[in-house]
Amino acid sequence: MNTILIPGDLIETDVARNRNYYFTDGSNSYCTSMCILNNGRLVPLEGLWYPNEGETVVGVVKEVKNSIVEVDLSHFLRAIIIKSPRDRIAFRIGDIIEASVKQVEDKKTIILIFPRLLKNGQLLQVKAVKIPRIIGKNNTMVAQISSFTKSNIVIGYNGLIYIRGGDMALAVSAILKVAAEAHKPGLTEGVKKFLERELEVTEK
Amino acid sequence: MFTNKGYHMNAINLAKANYIKELLNRDMREDSRALTDFRDISINTSILKNAEGSAQVDLGGTRVLCGVKLQPEETMKDTPDQGNLIVSAELLPLASKDYESGPPSPDSIELARVVDRGIRAGQCIDLKDLFIEEGKAWTVFVDLYILNFDGNFFDASYMAAMAALSSTWIPKYENGAAVMEERVRKLKVDNIVTATTFAKIGQKIILDPDVNEEAVASTRLTIAVDKEFIRAMQKGLSGSFTQKEIQDMVDIAFEKHAMLKDYVSPQSNQ
Amino acid sequence: MANMLNKPELLREDGKRLDGRDLDELRPLSIKANVLKNAAGSAYTEWGNNKVLAAVYGPKEVVPRHFLDPERAVIKCRYAMAPFSSLSDHGRSGPNRRAIEISKVTKEVFDNVVLLEEFPETAIEISIEILQSDGGTRAAGITTAAVALANAGIPMRDLVYSVSAGKIKDKIILDLDMLEDNYSDADMPVAVSPRTGSVLLLQMDGEMTRQELNLGLDTILEAGKQISKIQRQALIDVYE
Repeated sequence: MNTILIPGDLIETDVARNRNYYFTDGSNSYCTSMCILNNGRLVPLEGLWYPNEGETVVGVVKEVKNSIVEVDLSHFLRAIIIKSPRDRIAFRIGDIIEASVKQVEDKKTIILIFPRLLKNGQLLQVKAVKIPRIIGKNNTMVAQISSFTKSNIVIGYNGLIYIRGGDMALAVSAILKVAAEAHKPGLTEGVKKFLERELEVTEK
Repeated sequence: MFTNKGYHMNAINLAKANYIKELLNRDMREDSRALTDFRDISINTSILKNAEGSAQVDLGGTRVLCGVKLQPEETMKDTPDQGNLIVSAELLPLASKDYESGPPSPDSIELARVVDRGIRAGQCIDLKDLFIEEGKAWTVFVDLYILNFDGNFFDASYMAAMAALSSTWIPKYENGAAVMEERVRKLKVDNIVTATTFAKIGQKIILDPDVNEEAVASTRLTIAVDKEFIRAMQKGLSGSFTQKEIQDMVDIAFEKHAMLKDYVSPQSNQ
Repeated sequence: MANMLNKPELLREDGKRLDGRDLDELRPLSIKANVLKNAAGSAYTEWGNNKVLAAVYGPKEVVPRHFLDPERAVIKCRYAMAPFSSLSDHGRSGPNRRAIEISKVTKEVFDNVVLLEEFPETAIEISIEILQSDGGTRAAGITTAAVALANAGIPMRDLVYSVSAGKIKDKIILDLDMLEDNYSDADMPVAVSPRTGSVLLLQMDGEMTRQELNLGLDTILEAGKQISKIQRQALIDVYE
């Protein structure tokens, strides 16, 4: 088991840290969230999503004005798409969309670009901090779940996941399994076995 | 629906709601239940020692804690030979991001009144049994605490109230005062009433709606029954039912009563 | 200090307290984190006969809007005793003056350690419900809420704990129960940031000398090591 740190715990100087999960008090650094030490890296176990440029998000259209579409990302920051006259999407309240983070303005508003409508699927919400694990290194985890379940899966860094088609129930339970065991090693292999076992059961 | 002040709608719930409608068109539910299945139920009683009776009910993700307190009070002029029953409910802010702290909301008042009505109409508690002496009788306070809200707090609250009352002990009364540290006899529970709540979504009727299903329901009906009789009903929301639909729901409510009663009071024969 | 006339003896002849504890001994304490489904974070504590549930929501939209702070998040805190939480009377529900004061001092404890500046224009909501009470519920509430906040991933500079010290005659006692709270000569709930040892809550009523105050704080800081350990274990157990 790797070492789990809690808020206020000292972080050794040789640990690589994620800028959003520690603070420095003079010469020492301390954790601000539940974290795990993984091969000399500080990885958050709990915590909020801090948007970065280029990250994919999944959200729901909350308000449509003349030039601005407000999107609910289930996050404390407001998120908007600034419509351009060339945009051909007719946004309606309640539409599920996928988009990309362009920038965060003034620590208060996320500007989204490249929106795409997602239709006839299910929304699943997990803690945003678990998302990197659900994606996996070079997309391995989500690709694996997708290929076993034949579901189309779009993962938002904000913690919302869109699933459509295939064995959706199995896709949901596989994703929830990754979220619950995100801190454990050997997860890709474990999820593979889980999916194989479940599919075997249903085929019999 | 619970209003989230300052937020004109919850867009994410709306998206989930659309999906629920889609599934129901194929007679399916998100958690793969049949349309007339309850979610998993678990009940623990006598879990609080300062309360004279208590129970915690988990109905799927909905968690209700019920505490029963007894207090000697003056009898009322028109009922000098009996005690009193007071049911209250609180939708605690820790139960849902949509619940706010503050004075009782209309939803919590409705919940308390619907539970109160069933207990009273079913004569579950013999109020005359609460008489202590000339001018004094026990008041039974039933407090329902919603700890986690995932839809259908009516049925969970009925179970919590009935289970808590079934585990309630009456304190000693001596020299004109209650001795709360000493409990002398069990509260007599003469009848068990259970509730079954339905929601109508499109043309489909489902039992035990969860929070996402409630969000999209047009109508709701709670039917409280004992072995023989319907004891209380409450329709909610703005939609409507046909007479046939109501008859079908009543049949199911009676059918489910046997199972629910066993959860609430495993030994009783009512 | 209620009813001084019928004051019961609070120490036994062998020098121990009525429940058999040593003067500086905590009541049995257990904490479980992540107990509620909807909340961003939650914790449940049994501390002696106290049973306390805490939950955290947010950061979320500030309601009503005039509480909004453009520079940082605002903490909203609710401490409330359930109407069935005490053995004596059925309590009226809703916040009374005592509960409002405790909510306020609890909020101020967390204002100190939460990195509020990371979430301008939002609210973080802390709810503390006392389900069963036997003295020391504000301390139990703060200790529980700290675990709920960490469980919610709300960034904090430290995991605070709280416990009370008091006085019976010339003896300093730790972690007063209801009976001791009612009849002791002093009661002093304290909350501490263990990383720095700084005091974030300090209330006192009764009578204490300067020396007794120091001894009380020392006793609290020593006991805090145990409380912190139990809080830490509760948070780690979520991942077992």
